[in-house]
Parts: sequence; structure tokens; C-alpha cells
Amino acid sequence: MSGKLLEREREVEVAWTPSASRFIPNGAAVAAIISAMLGLITLAVVNLGTAASKAFNEWVHGIGKLWMPGAEGIGPYSGKETLSALVWIGSWIVLHVALRSRDLNLGRWLIVFLVGIGIATTLLWPPVFEYLAGH
Amino acid sequence: MNGNEHLDERREASTASLALVVGILIGSALAFVLATAPFSALLGAGQGAVPAMFHGLAAFLYLFVGTIGLYLAWRLWTGRIRAFADLQLLATVSATFSLLAIVFGNWLYIYYRAKDSGSPRSWFMANMPVVHKIFFEFKEFIALFTLPLTVAAAFILWYYGAQVLDRKWMRYTVAVILALSFFYLVVAFGLGAAVTKLKPA
Repeated sequence: MSGKLLEREREVEVAWTPSASRFIPNGAAVAAIISAMLGLITLAVVNLGTAASKAFNEWVHGIGKLWMPGAEGIGPYSGKETLSALVWIGSWIVLHVALRSRDLNLGRWLIVFLVGIGIATTLLWPPVFEYLAGH
Repeated sequence: MNGNEHLDERREASTASLALVVGILIGSALAFVLATAPFSALLGAGQGAVPAMFHGLAAFLYLFVGTIGLYLAWRLWTGRIRAFADLQLLATVSATFSLLAIVFGNWLYIYYRAKDSGSPRSWFMANMPVVHKIFFEFKEFIALFTLPLTVAAAFILWYYGAQVLDRKWMRYTVAVILALSFFYLVVAFGLGAAVTKLKPA
């Protein structure tokens, strides 16, 4: 692998690359995509919850008001962004530590990621979440 | 001494000189506009004109960078990419512009959803509720998809470097993520532009 990589680096312009002699397991890549998916699913689920429950909507707005400048004017959207970002970054740290030294089936995880992104997108289409929220 | 020696010289322009040229060009254009045009009229009369300018600027620059990134993502997918360094850089710049567009979008959102009757949301709810209830609400959420997607792509490209090139599924993964982020960018950009055209903040 290292000889092939060195050859690659001579052929292709690369801004930065880790040591060519060290094979890096793909677990860190899986952690990066799955955590992004989890953050976006969180966004969709939290939004569904705010559409279904006024009390939850106020709680979510309160989360945004804890730290985000202008959150009073931004509304519950500030809390939805906050919770989504927390799950994204938090799960990324946990998954990175857990998976970085493992070599996984990346193709399978890419499909999981695509399905998750598709579910998040569908849940965020207003006619869908309004229907599920009982409106 | 060979008179053609200068023709054989192969020296890349430094990043500092490139930044200087770009700075001078943008500075000259801005100075010309500010000296000759009614700048406030250019921004618009709405209360949210300034955040709208920053939000639109960040989104527009992101669209430029994202378009080139999409092309390089396709080259990565096929395994025939030479400008890998450019893709590493563009993925990072895309993530930065995505973050800036979201931050300025938050600022603009305050004016969009203001309670007074002149705010865009009040106007849409009174005249065209479907624009707010479906298109704007969808736009505000899917615009957020671009940040984790571009950050994940940039992370993989820098963390694995040239190792991405010889690993088929890693190439596919980065290419798919960048293509998806471009899709979400274009939908959010299009809906945002349409909403702004109907009722600026």
C-alpha cells in the first residue's frame, strides 16, 4: 500500500496527507458520516416534537435562549439548531474514539447514511411533519 | 548564459500574492461602487437589509465554490482526479461558507419573523401562507444539512489525504456527500431567492 500511495502522491497534487506508510482504518470516516446523519435526524425529530407539543416547543426555544445571541427573535429554530449540533458533535466524538482503529464495511455504512438522510429530509417536508403532528 | 532561461523557470505564484491580487480587485470594485452609487439604495430599505446582504453574499460565494466542488467530486468518483489538493481546499471553504450563511441566516431570520405587520412572515401569512408554511420552513431546515455534510467531507479528505484515492468506497463516500450537500444548497438557495423576491426582509 505504501509504495502505491507514494506513487499516487507523485501523480496527484495533494495539499496534505498523513504518512504514506501508515494505513488508516476507515472507522473515522464512518464516524464522521454517521454522526452527521444523527445530527440531522435529531433536527427532524425535534422539529416534529415542536409541531406536536406546545410545551416541548417552549422548552426547545429555552435551549436556544441559553446561549444563542438573538434567540428571542429567532424563536424555537435556535433550539432546534442547538440540539442538532450537540448530537452531531457529541456523537462524532464518541464514535470517533470508538471506531477510529476499526476497519468497517464503508459501503454498507454509506447506505445507512443515505437512508438516514432521506428519512430526515422526508420528516422535514412540512406536509409530512404537520400530518404526523396531528394538524 | 542562455537567454531563454526565464522561460524554463517553473515557480508557482505564492498564496500571499494571489490574496493580494484578489484583495486589490475586490477593494477597487468596492471603492468604485461606494464612490459613485447610492449604496443604501443598493441594499434596500428593509430593516433586515444588512443581514440579508451578508447572508446572500455568503450563500452566493458558497454556490460558486460548491459548483466547482461538485465537478471535482465527480472526478473523485471516477478516480481520475489530479487536483486533489483543490478538492481538499474547496471542501473546507464550502464548510466555512455554509457556516457563515447559516450564522447570517439566523441574524436575518429575526427580521423575517418579526411580529410587526410589515415583516415577511406576517405578510406571507396574510397573503400567501403556503410560501411560509411549506417553502420557507423547508428551506430553513434543509439549508442546515449543508454544514455537517461539508464538514464530514472535508474531514475525510484531510484525515486520510491521498489514501482516499486508492480506496473505492471512500472516494464514493466523499463524492456522494459533496453531491448531496450541493443538492441541499441549490434547493435552499433557490427557495431563499424566491422568498426574497416575493417579500424582502
